[in-house]
Amino acid sequence: MNQFKFTSQLRIGLIAMMVIGLVSMGLTWYMDDDLHTRFWSNYLHNASFFTGIALMAGFFICICITAWAGWYAVFKRVWEGFSMFLIVGLVLMAVVGVGAYMHLHHLYHWSDPEAVKTDVLLQGKAGFLNSNWYLFGTIIIVGLWYFFAKAIRNLSVREDSETEDNNFKTHRRMRVYAAIFLPVAGFTSAAMIWLWIMSVDAHWYSTLFAWYSGASWFVSMIALTILCLLYLRSKGYFQEVSVEHMHDLGKFLFAFSIFWTYLWFSQYMLIWYGNVGEETMYYRTRFDYYKPLFYTNLVINFVLPFFVLMRNDTKRKFGSLGFVAAVVFFGHWLDYFLMLKPGILHTAMEHMSHGAEHASHHVGFKMGFTMPGFLELGTMIGFLGLFLFVFFTALSKAALLPKNDPYLQESLHHHV
Amino acid sequence: MANTNTQVIYGLYDDEEIMLKAIRKANDLHLNIMDVYTPFPVHGLDPLLGLSESRLHIAGFIYGMLGTLTAFLGMTWIFTKDWPVIFGGKPYWSVPAFIPITFELTVLFAAIGMTFTFYIVCGLGPGVTNEMLDDRITDDKFCIAFDESEVNSSEVESFLSSTGASEINKKII
Repeated sequence: MNQFKFTSQLRIGLIAMMVIGLVSMGLTWYMDDDLHTRFWSNYLHNASFFTGIALMAGFFICICITAWAGWYAVFKRVWEGFSMFLIVGLVLMAVVGVGAYMHLHHLYHWSDPEAVKTDVLLQGKAGFLNSNWYLFGTIIIVGLWYFFAKAIRNLSVREDSETEDNNFKTHRRMRVYAAIFLPVAGFTSAAMIWLWIMSVDAHWYSTLFAWYSGASWFVSMIALTILCLLYLRSKGYFQEVSVEHMHDLGKFLFAFSIFWTYLWFSQYMLIWYGNVGEETMYYRTRFDYYKPLFYTNLVINFVLPFFVLMRNDTKRKFGSLGFVAAVVFFGHWLDYFLMLKPGILHTAMEHMSHGAEHASHHVGFKMGFTMPGFLELGTMIGFLGLFLFVFFTALSKAALLPKNDPYLQESLHHHV
Repeated sequence: MANTNTQVIYGLYDDEEIMLKAIRKANDLHLNIMDVYTPFPVHGLDPLLGLSESRLHIAGFIYGMLGTLTAFLGMTWIFTKDWPVIFGGKPYWSVPAFIPITFELTVLFAAIGMTFTFYIVCGLGPGVTNEMLDDRITDDKFCIAFDESEVNSSEVESFLSSTGASEINKKII
């Protein structure tokens, strides 16, 4: 089957997921504090997480094109489909930007003019950490990502319908777009991560942070690719995707889990060693009040994939590979939870205690902040449903095998 | 590898695809292949020859774990018992500071251990000379070799010439 059919059964399933998400978000809104901190933080958490996955899919296609890689060609429509979510991500993140502009939420300490007035650190950062940068930076940069992802996608689809031999002109154009996109994505993704995620701890910064959260996005993208391919294979599509391709995806999952750990630890160790109060407070908070999540994060994102995927055969068996991919996907969602929630909670507590600068970080156990509750899971299911809906829609619009891709034959005969 | 005085009959192929086809045919004919020599790793050769998975990586894992333990326990002993020094106000037993060295010794032990294990298993080392069937199998020829005492020579010769071997030779190694 070379054409994916978006069955109504699947459509209803995904819409049901989105309904679960909407109900969860509605419930969160009504059970929330005055600032709706839990609602907005859940929204930001999932919107940034899935937008990043879409970016990494487009980014990785461009890496493969630029590197003249061939192995991915047989399932490149999956990554193209993922990257089409960027336009939805643009809208989702722009909503957070509008919220910061209109003071609809208090996710960011720097978006509160009262706080900035008395805060030297925030004044120093105000050139970058401000609502204009947030809203228009997001729209322009994510728009730029979408422009490149869409250009690659259009050229790739156009390649399918070409009949005459034109010396791979279309593919050569894809190479140009891909090569331009790599540095663009490299620099702008860091800026977006600083704005969206790192700036919830507005006083704190880490130069490694963008790499670290980018690696988290990347691993999640590979894990989701594995899960989607396993699902599509079970439905009779992508039978050309062999155990060899899955093995290579498993290697990427394994390698980038280690890469993520490397960055996680590098950031941790430098801050631990430097022992500067402004920096250590980031880990102090997580260590004191988020201990279970702090260690769970390391165990399921490093120890588990490291020891399970180390062997050859666990990467080649779909059961173990799918299991690890599912766990790691959830693990990196938790990682984002742990990046965002403590800072957001602190900002909200400070705001509600009317700007008392050193409001305690400790507020006891708070559902949805100290631990993700059912509402967080429901919101995640909703966003996942939306992501997959966009993905399957894009997937159904083109043939699954890019029949004129110059690397298709290499990919079909891929062997590790 | 010592000289085993084996009378070998072998065919040289110009292309790995032709050689792979020949091996498939040899398997169909139940010809007992002694060994195959190629200038580079040929994809799909191992399962055709029925070779089991290498156990070298299991050795590698054990060496790696030995490295982990050596580094971690060594530093623990040195910095808490043998010569405790306070660095930057940190406790004696500072696990985060041990991680980079633990990681490095893990890699070092695994890499060196696997290299030497590989040399020993293959009988390689300084001063060892190995009898080669043909020098060109390190360059551009693909060789299928049979032990003459195990196969019928004329049958093998007709097999080699019919499957496109560019040369058929005999040699004692």
